[in-house]
Amino acid sequence: MCAFGFIVSGCMFDVVSVTQKPTAFSAASGTPETFVLRESHSISIGTGFPTRLKAGTKWAMIGSIPEGSVFRSKDQVLTVEASNIHEADLVVDKGAVVGFFLVVEKTFCPAKQREPIEQ
Amino acid sequence: MLIVALLGGCASGPSFSTYSGSIPPLDSQKARIYFYRSTLLGGAIQPAVRVNGTEVGDAKPHGAFYYDVAPGEYKVETSTEVTRRLTLKLEKGDIRYVRLNVSMGFMVAHIYPELVDADVGSKEILDCKYSGMNK
Repeated sequence: MCAFGFIVSGCMFDVVSVTQKPTAFSAASGTPETFVLRESHSISIGTGFPTRLKAGTKWAMIGSIPEGSVFRSKDQVLTVEASNIHEADLVVDKGAVVGFFLVVEKTFCPAKQREPIEQ
Repeated sequence: MLIVALLGGCASGPSFSTYSGSIPPLDSQKARIYFYRSTLLGGAIQPAVRVNGTEVGDAKPHGAFYYDVAPGEYKVETSTEVTRRLTLKLEKGDIRYVRLNVSMGFMVAHIYPELVDADVGSKEILDCKYSGMNK
């Protein structure tokens, strides 16, 4: 009984969180840099719920953070998922996806590893 | 008995494909979120759907409804034995689709809101029934 109470208490389901780091976003100005993904990609953030990038989607740079350039697509929704789901933008640095910029939280969520992308 | 528990309590309104013709066009200064639950699984569990703390409808099996909001940042939440949350940002004129998914919990099913692509949501919602905004 005691063990049961211990197990069910303390938010036992809310155990997986998206890693978030404070960051500083600067909006882009002028004609945005764009690219089209040639292939699909699956980006892990270590939560067990990878984020999928679809082949053929067009991405436009909307700004930057210290971790890289921030891109958004009108061709697919982008979210990162753990126990909760967060709308996100893609962060690219030197030709590789390095993580995500969480749109509402305004934080950086790093990818488990850099994912080179062919544009 | 188990089947009733698993599948019971479906939405009972008009089919969404029929009802959609009577949905007013989106105000140009607002954004719209369509909510739908496409599965019958865990049908007895029908938590309220909250948008920034306001109850806007219920997660009824095969139910669908919409909610118009001012542009801004939003938290969509559903609670059973735990609270599941989706955060998203809406711009003027945006039309977004949030699917209310079901996952197994410890004691009862969990309902979690997921943002889906418009081409997916606009098709899946047609198999639902209009269950009405709250409230």
